Amino acid sequence: MIASLGAKAVQDVVDAGRFGRFTWRAATTSLRCCLVRGTFPLVWNQVNVIGVRSVPVIMITGAFVGMTLAVQAYDQLAGMGLEEHLGVLINIAVVKELGPVLAAVMLAGRVGGALTAELGTMNVTEQIDAVRSMGTDPIRYLVAPRLLACLLLTPILIMYADVMGVIGGALVSFLQLGINSRAYWNFSAAGVELWDVAIGVVKGFFFGGAIATISCYKGFNCKEGAHGVGQACTDAFVASFISILALDFALAVVFKSIYLTFWPIKSLV
Amino acid sequence: MTADFGVCGLERQNDQKEPAGENGAANTQIEVRNLTKKFGRKLVLDNVSVSIDRGKTTVIIGPSGCGKTVLMKHFIVLQRPTAGEVYFDGQRIDHLSERELNRVRTRFGYLFQEGALFDSMSVAENIMFPIKQHFKGVTWRQVEDVVKAKLAMVGLDGFQNYYPANLSGGQRKRVALARAIALNPEVILYDEPTTGLDPIRSDIINELVLKLERDLGVTSVVVTHDMRSAYKVGDRIIMLHNGRIIADGDADHIRDHPHPTVQQFINGQVSEDDLAVLRMSGAVATSQFLPRDFQQ
Ligand SMILES: Nc1ncnc2c1ncn2[C@@H]1O[C@H](COP(=O)(O)OP(=O)(O)O)[C@@H](O)[C@H]1O
Ligand SMILES: [Mg+2]
Repeated sequence: MIASLGAKAVQDVVDAGRFGRFTWRAATTSLRCCLVRGTFPLVWNQVNVIGVRSVPVIMITGAFVGMTLAVQAYDQLAGMGLEEHLGVLINIAVVKELGPVLAAVMLAGRVGGALTAELGTMNVTEQIDAVRSMGTDPIRYLVAPRLLACLLLTPILIMYADVMGVIGGALVSFLQLGINSRAYWNFSAAGVELWDVAIGVVKGFFFGGAIATISCYKGFNCKEGAHGVGQACTDAFVASFISILALDFALAVVFKSIYLTFWPIKSLV
Repeated sequence: MTADFGVCGLERQNDQKEPAGENGAANTQIEVRNLTKKFGRKLVLDNVSVSIDRGKTTVIIGPSGCGKTVLMKHFIVLQRPTAGEVYFDGQRIDHLSERELNRVRTRFGYLFQEGALFDSMSVAENIMFPIKQHFKGVTWRQVEDVVKAKLAMVGLDGFQNYYPANLSGGQRKRVALARAIALNPEVILYDEPTTGLDPIRSDIINELVLKLERDLGVTSVVVTHDMRSAYKVGDRIIMLHNGRIIADGDADHIRDHPHPTVQQFINGQVSEDDLAVLRMSGAVATSQFLPRDFQQ
């Protein structure tokens, strides 16, 4: 019992070390690839595969977040006679937290799953070994373009989610809840700063990196067979989800301290 | 089993080694010394030492699962030894970093057992892949000509725009072979090149192996079950069994080898032990367990 726990702990440490080394190699290789023109077509290819097809689901995600927030928050604010402040609440929540996090979770499922399945299948059919056998670094050829594409795309897709969230929240507020649109926008403009939007987008950079490295790592270390690929996809999604939430927390702490060193705290209502 | 190993040890001594111990190094292209490979607790290669002669064709035979593929992957360090060393051209390569290995690996062609074609690419793109990776300045026209020539060598010219999914197993293997020889390698490692091919195609592949050796002085290592092919292409045949080398010599040496396991393998006979197991399980299954298994 204790021996097996110990063995498991050792295995976890070994895995963490391997993941760390993989991440380091992926990061340094990607940096180097940025300087080489040969990688641009590969990245562009991934941008099309990963990004373009994610736009609709990301927009739907964003819109529903905004709409739901409007419905849920209205009663409380209206009870205090503050319903015209609804815009600040929705828009801050969307651009700072819910837009980035939910968009990233959506991407972890859609993009991360596809990456793990693709690379995992390549691994079990020895295609990754084939890349190595021909003297090409699979990290450079397979991981770097995907990582760069995710780093580039996640912030952009988060902006899509933000825009749709803002629009969705506003539409529900005006059409269903009958809030004065002028007041709604005025309070929003006063409450939401460029800083808030920037935080959301910068988070996307980290989320994208986490999704790509975790998914590629799981694909590269996938076990044999169809079951192995399925397992790797599940593991990759769970790990991506947890790291998105953990990163979100860590970044919130960091950004808050940065903010407070420059500006005083602001009250939203 | 232990008796088995005892015999192996003796056999090794009697088996012919390379001539001339002094300039042996110059004739040796690849060498593994005391190679041991474990996956977890499972011992796959047990202290294997072998050297592959330059410009010759070495055939590795042995039953399925005896570690032939694993041994071959060590020749280009696609897998790292648990213990032991791998040398290429007199230089130790098993501890090199992946980046340093990539330079060495371009001098090899590796035909994977299952082909390992990139299924997202067409046949032509598969064969272009190594060329595009290592020759930046070449024109489209030149690459196309190389692809055509390599496909013609394996009898598949005209299949450039097919995808691996639309090819038969044997065709896939031949495309993989065309890809393996795309960079005109000095050493070609063939993992079961004729498995899954009809006899005529097998013979064409055998001829191709011989032709590459004759015309270009390529060093070849061929893993196979196919004794016809082994006798035809092999300058030297090595038999692997339970992760050890139990026979090593030319075709005649293997044909007349006294070791029963070798004789069983090359004649395709089941050993008495295996037969006994088969008979017993058959009897047990029909008389007792089978009906009850089905009832549940
Ligand atoms: N990556 C791996 N992990 C665990 N076991 C492996 C791995 N690769 C091969 N093996 C085991 O090593 C043994 C030899 O495999 P292999 O070299 O593929 O046999 P063959 O002689 O048929 O080519 C098999 O029993 C196989 O289960
Ligand atoms: Mg094999």
